[in-house]
Amino acid sequence: MGVIVMKVELSWLDRTYVWPVMKGMSITFQHFIKQLFTRTAKRYTIQYPDMKKEMPAGYRGLHELKRFEDGAIKCVACFMCEEACPARCISIQAEEFGDLNITQGFEEKRPAQFKIDMLRCIYCGMCEEACPKDAIWLRNDYEVAAYDRLSMQFGKWDLMNTYAEADGKDRISQDPTPSVPRRTIAM
Amino acid sequence: MDMLASLLHTTPAIAWMALKVVIVFGGVMSLAAVWTWVERRGSAMIQDRIGPNRARLFGRWPILGLAQIAADGIKMFFKEDLVTTDANRRLFWLAPILAFVPALMGFAVIPFGKSFVSGGQTYHLALLDPGNGMGMLYPLAIGGMAVYGVLVAAWSSNNKWSILGGMRASAAMVSYEIGLSLAVISIFMTTGGYDPAEIIASQSHLPWKWNVVPQLPGFIVFFTCMFAETNRLPFDFAEGESEIVAGFNTEFGSMKFSLLALAEYSHLMTASALIATLYFGGWQVPFVKDPPVLLSVASFVLKLVFFAWVFVWIRWTLPRFRYDQLMHLGWKVMLPLSMANLVFHAWRMSQGH
Ligand code: SF4
Ligand code: SF4
Repeated sequence: MGVIVMKVELSWLDRTYVWPVMKGMSITFQHFIKQLFTRTAKRYTIQYPDMKKEMPAGYRGLHELKRFEDGAIKCVACFMCEEACPARCISIQAEEFGDLNITQGFEEKRPAQFKIDMLRCIYCGMCEEACPKDAIWLRNDYEVAAYDRLSMQFGKWDLMNTYAEADGKDRISQDPTPSVPRRTIAM
Repeated sequence: MDMLASLLHTTPAIAWMALKVVIVFGGVMSLAAVWTWVERRGSAMIQDRIGPNRARLFGRWPILGLAQIAADGIKMFFKEDLVTTDANRRLFWLAPILAFVPALMGFAVIPFGKSFVSGGQTYHLALLDPGNGMGMLYPLAIGGMAVYGVLVAAWSSNNKWSILGGMRASAAMVSYEIGLSLAVISIFMTTGGYDPAEIIASQSHLPWKWNVVPQLPGFIVFFTCMFAETNRLPFDFAEGESEIVAGFNTEFGSMKFSLLALAEYSHLMTASALIATLYFGGWQVPFVKDPPVLLSVASFVLKLVFFAWVFVWIRWTLPRFRYDQLMHLGWKVMLPLSMANLVFHAWRMSQGH
């Protein structure tokens, strides 16, 4: 396919080069003046540590493991997310638990450990897509950094509390129901 | 005022001279340092950015990021002074000085204020008194030397990018210097002398009598050549960071680099002073016939700062020319234009204007 190149014919005024330079200078000067009289808060630059960008809905940031009102984890340790994860950074260990309560209905399986290696995670959101229980969400926190590699291994309680402050919820570090194998409960 | 005058009369001429040297060179150098900040903040504003504003004086006062100058200076000062193994060590050491000294020296003849008489003695506000026989030829000659700084820096660092940059600078110099000289010569001709004091006096206090009005083509040529001479965009292909790494700067680090950078800004100041003196009436204050000394100094500094700002402004407006485009511009546009300007004014003078 041929491309027709249109040759731009410059007028004599443009060919003097002086006039276009002046036009260009007026444009840059307008920008200069505009920027000079704009308050810092209104400029395009977001000065990061002082100002933060409002992330749009649907942004894929740090994960949260959802919980019921009583603090029980929603995840049922079905391993769907671990399977879906293209970076292979989720590792789950399931456990049974007895003493079913109201909120958890008929579920009797939950993760004993739920680890995400945030150094390997690519924030693709596949885990969120795969989850049948809506138990794992990617939300708007993008400041995931630490001074050492070990603190980037997020465990179950880290993941359940990632947005506790933002949502005004309590930090929890214990399941509301104990993990007791059912067969040891006396019938 | 009386005390000041008596102080002036009792100080020996040599001390007065030393004071002038300190004021002029110190002033130009600190203005050059401030201009690194102006350049960065100005370019940021032009491009809708913010620019350096986080360095704080003693970690407390941000003062619009002016502390950045001090921070940069300290950083440069404490950096390791590397010399590449194959460099010509002596020339490598000499190059920043060769670039820096001519950039400042051009300032010596330029009067930065009105001469005044006090106690039967005339005091000239220029390092070299008028009538020294060098006049405006001196900054032109010194300006021609500035290319040695670039060339020596390029040659001594023994790096192909540097040498390309140095070669470009020297070849470019040949092509613009003639047009520049012809533009200045037509001023010498209409003035009837090449002493800056005469040139300024002949331009008088009326803005339409300043050389820029009758000699507009000459001014455009001179102004454009000044960009080439100071190695700044749109003619900075001696540096050409997108093409030849950093040109003649490539191998330089720490204080050597900052001296090269400072040389560029001092050169910019000298160039603005030349433009103000030759085409905009030097220290003349518009519409004030016999201005007080301080007002004349302020007027000169204001013009200087304005043209220095125009240098920054143009740099962030125009893209870099191609190397052959300056050749074209120098030989086929500037030279005929300044020649025509010269011939026109010669004709006008022959008609008795
Ligand atoms: S966001 Fe993607 S990479 Fe990260 S844990 Fe979920 S599935 Fe894995
Ligand atoms: S987070 Fe969702 S997908 Fe992953 S194991 Fe728990 S319930 Fe299954």
